[in-house]
Amino acid sequence: MSIIKATGISKTYRRGSEEVCALRGVDLAIETGEFVSIVGPSGAGKTALMNILGCLDIPSNGTLVIDGVKVTGKKEAELVKIRREHIGFVFQQFFLIPTLTVEENVGLPLIFSGKPYDKVKIDAILCRVGLSHRVGHLPSELSGGEMQRVAIGRALVNDPRILLADEPTGNLDSVTADGIYAVFEELHRQGLTLIIVTHNTELAKRAGRVITIRDGCVDRTCEQ
Amino acid sequence: MNLLSLAIRNLRRRKTRTLLTVAGVAIAVAILFSLLSFSAGYERQLTSEMENLGFNLLAVPKGCPYEATTLILHGGVIPKYLTNNDLNRTRATPGVAVAAPMLLQQVIKDGTPHIVYGIDPDAMIPLKPAWKVNGRFFTADETHVMVIGSTLAEAENLKPGSVLPFGPAQEPYTVIGVLEPTAGEDDNFHFLPLADAQRVFKKEGLITAIAVKADDVKDIPAIADELEKVPDIQVVTMAQVTGTIMNLVGSARSLLFSVIVIAIVISAAGITNTLLMSVNERTREIGMMKAIGASGFHIALLLLAETIIITALGGVIGIVAALAGSGLIEAFVRGIVPYAPSGSFVSFDPFLVAGCLAFSVGLGLLCGLYPAVKSARLSPMEAIRGEWE
Repeated sequence: MSIIKATGISKTYRRGSEEVCALRGVDLAIETGEFVSIVGPSGAGKTALMNILGCLDIPSNGTLVIDGVKVTGKKEAELVKIRREHIGFVFQQFFLIPTLTVEENVGLPLIFSGKPYDKVKIDAILCRVGLSHRVGHLPSELSGGEMQRVAIGRALVNDPRILLADEPTGNLDSVTADGIYAVFEELHRQGLTLIIVTHNTELAKRAGRVITIRDGCVDRTCEQ
Repeated sequence: MNLLSLAIRNLRRRKTRTLLTVAGVAIAVAILFSLLSFSAGYERQLTSEMENLGFNLLAVPKGCPYEATTLILHGGVIPKYLTNNDLNRTRATPGVAVAAPMLLQQVIKDGTPHIVYGIDPDAMIPLKPAWKVNGRFFTADETHVMVIGSTLAEAENLKPGSVLPFGPAQEPYTVIGVLEPTAGEDDNFHFLPLADAQRVFKKEGLITAIAVKADDVKDIPAIADELEKVPDIQVVTMAQVTGTIMNLVGSARSLLFSVIVIAIVISAAGITNTLLMSVNERTREIGMMKAIGASGFHIALLLLAETIIITALGGVIGIVAALAGSGLIEAFVRGIVPYAPSGSFVSFDPFLVAGCLAFSVGLGLLCGLYPAVKSARLSPMEAIRGEWE
């Protein structure tokens, strides 16, 4: 069963007086538990697609269904709920809060979801991402790879069914990037649906399916 | 961890800026609290002091303006006098219960002016039921004796039995009594029998003012009208004095309130600027929080919590500073108002404290509203791209 089904998604931005078409009628279905990489040249529309799939942005046209719920046409307040309950996000710049410890950064989404601040659960997540020895450290005391692991932990704390990562290794060296991908592969083995936007074609090949975007359209899909 | 602890951590991220904003709020609240406290305290003390005077009106020499009357009340000397004839006319006026003559003079000792009150004890003591004397009071016909106020006694190290050279001829005078503290100007005065004071200062038969107590307060206007018919006398009721002082203080108060308004506007601009800078710097972070499940309400609440922490902290510090520095504030205010009654103006009034705290928090909410609403309305995409403007 498709956990994400996008039909005829298009997105047009206005840049000054000019209209920019980022996506042109994208059709896409992602199955539950699938590991998908989205690749393509800069400006191809990868991030625009990712933002729409993650309910961070609204398509100009088309229909998006997540976990059986049609999300297009919903208001921001309803989209917040969908993001909170179904989707975890990992960004290239980590976006950790510098005054919060590793544990607190991971637990941050719990404040917004109204769930109890469960230290046992946070510790278990930190163990999953290999950071149980860094619980009380501040982001400034961590390496780039460790910061991204914290961000992954933060994305997992609300038990999402989908994890979206936008260039998660863009700021990391190849060895560290390899380690981060190992974490993703482990999460995939545990049943999480993973969609990762990347420039790195070698790492992209570690996913089960690679979707290439070019000029706002799906150029080709390659099963591994 | 919760939103409040997150707000506190965010403020700690920019310690200097937070402290400066708190200081701005504290200064504004300290000024607000001091001046409101002063305003209430001044009127209370003035009314109390007027009531403690023990008389309803003062007969003063013709041409003596109200400002000069306030001088008399504080022991100031004016170069015009009434006579014993005026005193007799006053005593004969219907409705007058007590008419107490006073001669006010000044002596300078070690460069400091000392106020001397020549009084008729038989007339004055009934007007001052609160007076308690350690030692004894003089009779009207005694000479070379005095009763002094408690502050003066302490400052000059005088007690009953002390002998001091006094007056233009430095005659030996014996302190026969010390007044217990009255919390009024009387604590600073030398009191002599009227006739002896007139002799020492060569003002035989002359009187600076006559304090009049009416049988019934309803008779005060009629007594005033009757006394005004005496050619030498001008009558000032204590209600007129209070009104005149309050009018004079009103202009000083307007100036002080304009200072409050300026301080509050500067403080409000500081808070808003701090919040806008803070939000501007954290736009991407706000986008991240929205992506991981924060609603616009959560973001607005977080920013308002930060503002309320700043303003509440500023409010508490401001009030504590105002209470701690009330002596300085009073000294400043006493310097710019035309008449300052004794006693403390700035006091711990729980309603005023609560009001000032509520004001500072309200100010914070008002200043925080625009940045909070603006950031709450940002779309997650705009925020992650850092598109604040």
